[in-house]
Amino acid sequence: MNDVFNITLIYATIRSATPILFAALCATVTQQADILNIGTEGIMLTSAFVAVLTSVTTGSWLIAILMAIVSGIAIALIMAVANIRYNAHICAAGIAVNMFALAITKFGLQQFLGTAGTFTSPDIKAIPRIHIAALDGIPVLNDIFNNWCVTEVFGIVMVIVLWFLLFKTVWGLRVRCVGRLPMAAETAGINVRRMKYEVMIISGVLGGLAGAHLSLGYSQMFADNITNGRGFMGVAAMNFGGMNPLLVWVGTLIFGFIDSVGARLQAYGLPSQFILMLPYIFTIAILVLAMWRKGRMNEKAKSAL
Amino acid sequence: MAAKDDYIVEMSDIDKSFPAVHAVDGGQFTLRRGEIHSLIGENGAGKSTMMKMLYGLYRPDGGTIKINGKVMEHLTPGISIGEGIGMVHQEFMLVNDLTVLENVILGFEPKKGVIINFEESRARINKYVETYHMDIQPDKRIDQISVGEAQRVEIIKTLYRGANVLILDEPTAVLTPQECTKFFEILQELRNDGKSIVFISHKLNEVMEISDRITVMRTGKYIATVNKEDTNTTELAKMMVGREVFLSIEKEKANIGAPILELKDIWTSGEKELSKIRGVSFDVRAGEIVGIAGVDGNGQSELIEAVAGLRKVEKGQVILDGQDITNDTPFEARKAGLTHIPEDRNLRGLNRALSIEENLVAWRFEEKPFATGINRNKKEIRKFAEDLIEKFDIRPTEPTVITQSLSGGNAQKIVVAREVDADGKLLIASQPSRGVDIGAIESIRKILNAVKKEGKGILLVSADLEEVLALSDRIVVMYEGRIMGIVDSEDATSDNVGLLMLGERLDEKEKEVS
Repeated sequence: MNDVFNITLIYATIRSATPILFAALCATVTQQADILNIGTEGIMLTSAFVAVLTSVTTGSWLIAILMAIVSGIAIALIMAVANIRYNAHICAAGIAVNMFALAITKFGLQQFLGTAGTFTSPDIKAIPRIHIAALDGIPVLNDIFNNWCVTEVFGIVMVIVLWFLLFKTVWGLRVRCVGRLPMAAETAGINVRRMKYEVMIISGVLGGLAGAHLSLGYSQMFADNITNGRGFMGVAAMNFGGMNPLLVWVGTLIFGFIDSVGARLQAYGLPSQFILMLPYIFTIAILVLAMWRKGRMNEKAKSAL
Repeated sequence: MAAKDDYIVEMSDIDKSFPAVHAVDGGQFTLRRGEIHSLIGENGAGKSTMMKMLYGLYRPDGGTIKINGKVMEHLTPGISIGEGIGMVHQEFMLVNDLTVLENVILGFEPKKGVIINFEESRARINKYVETYHMDIQPDKRIDQISVGEAQRVEIIKTLYRGANVLILDEPTAVLTPQECTKFFEILQELRNDGKSIVFISHKLNEVMEISDRITVMRTGKYIATVNKEDTNTTELAKMMVGREVFLSIEKEKANIGAPILELKDIWTSGEKELSKIRGVSFDVRAGEIVGIAGVDGNGQSELIEAVAGLRKVEKGQVILDGQDITNDTPFEARKAGLTHIPEDRNLRGLNRALSIEENLVAWRFEEKPFATGINRNKKEIRKFAEDLIEKFDIRPTEPTVITQSLSGGNAQKIVVAREVDADGKLLIASQPSRGVDIGAIESIRKILNAVKKEGKGILLVSADLEEVLALSDRIVVMYEGRIMGIVDSEDATSDNVGLLMLGERLDEKEKEVS
């Protein structure tokens, strides 16, 4: 069992959690403005493809990330315009965007990278890892802290930045008000539509980072439906964390942990189909747990006894 | 006193239509510096619509709005606030899970860079708290404070935004008589400080007490503006309704029989801490109206829901005519003889997408003669509906009209007709005249008295103390989910009931008297 639960599991957890973390933050920021961002999956998938494409053609991971962000914003804005301007239901807009992303990336893979299914190439310039020479040879710290991918560090920074934005700044107060009682925001002279657009653009940025990290940091490839439900897991983690970035992060760490443990258990002969099922089973379990906890707390708060 | 022609607001020939209604037609309104100006009219007279246009929430279709002598073309709430207009809405615009402080500064936050400067916010709010003697607790969340306090928060919020004009939409609806007195003192202080106040109301006594001038509107039209000294409540009522009204009905002497409804130590959950029901017991006997008085949100709604099977009774017993109906489903309770005019007719009273006849037959459409097997007998339903429409004077008289388009009064009459016709043992009437015009209030009150005369028990809940006093034989006063006292109608006055509503026991006071 020491091969499964050892010190390297900590970094493995962070590694598996980070793509979901960006997705969860993407869903968190919109949920604060009462927009359920089902489209996280589509934003992530599209930007994962754009990141690989840009990385191959320009040879720069930084430009690749930037282009991924731009494409993330573009997809988020499709949803924003449909929902905010034309009153389409946000879930319908999200589903549309998800299906569109599946199709456009499949098309792009054939058209621009000349392959179907999976694209790998030595020309893909990956997001670099931070090697701290001083940690080499120090047993525990080296296993935990060395060779992190740049975006993995950035993900944790974003948790804190987003928490600060939401709870300490003027902008955050207004967003929270828009999500809870839009009339109160409007009567305070706040432009509710504008706030919702701003939130959607930020979710595009975060979703873009999620995609770029997935295809250039977590792996160095693009495949059809590479996200494989990670966007939805992000939405689940957002629910679990009750829209608070810090708790949302905890939710994604649980996913990361399950994923890493599952991968290691494969070596013990557990059927791979079962291992592949694990994240989704836990998505359901975590959602049920989050809702049950919410329901219980609600019931308890209201009870007169 | 205000200078005669020193107008801070002038609205002339205002016109506004919504898809279904012509809400304001030729509206006029002027406001002087340092006056309290009441805007009165029945529900749907266009008072709130007028003021929402001044505040920039609606855009008028025609007419001009001048603020400080400037013609305002495209008002938005942002611009209005900038011109010193503040509005306290009937539904408070406070976000439940934010703190009082956060709610007050929203939109006008003192900043340190991009960060909110909480110390400065606190200092600025305290200034208003001290000047006008309004206590609030800045760090409590909105769902932890009382309605009265929430109202003070709203007023401080508008002052904080730099308002010189305060528009108050039905501000006293949620207050006890004693709280009202204190509230009026605050308003007078504000006026003496040079603020102008628009007081929207339909309670004529209050209007006569507080106003300098009064503007009356009826069905969207401007009727008149009068000085308080030149008018009286009778004249105002006549202008509001367009005819003489007699709301005070001779109270029928109660012919009291056996208990119909017995509540034994009821405990239920509550939407707020103060509205949890904790150990309530009383009974309603045949042939009497028991009125529940109390400030909105002290557990009245929760208690009624618990009796009607809409909320779980956590402890205690509900007994209807000897039968235990505790935690029965609403339908089972109905079968046992409970009928219910719910407080929110649009949520629970009516299906607004269906027609008048479908709503009238709603709870027994599958019974004979309205149905045979899976077929509805449309002729029978039509006949039944036409009968009730005539008997209860519902307008329009066409049974197939969709209830969505009906006025508050007629929509309520459908609910009343269905519940009274159901011929139960107990009738619960929760806020029966909320959002209903005076004509319909008159007829609903008559119906309740008739039901009582038939020997049924009636449990009445109303936020309008005057209504409770006018109809009830006994008055149960609730405060924070408990019963503060039960008063016989002969001994009840708005003073002693009002004190109980505030949570003060009567015994000490009574001792002083005797």
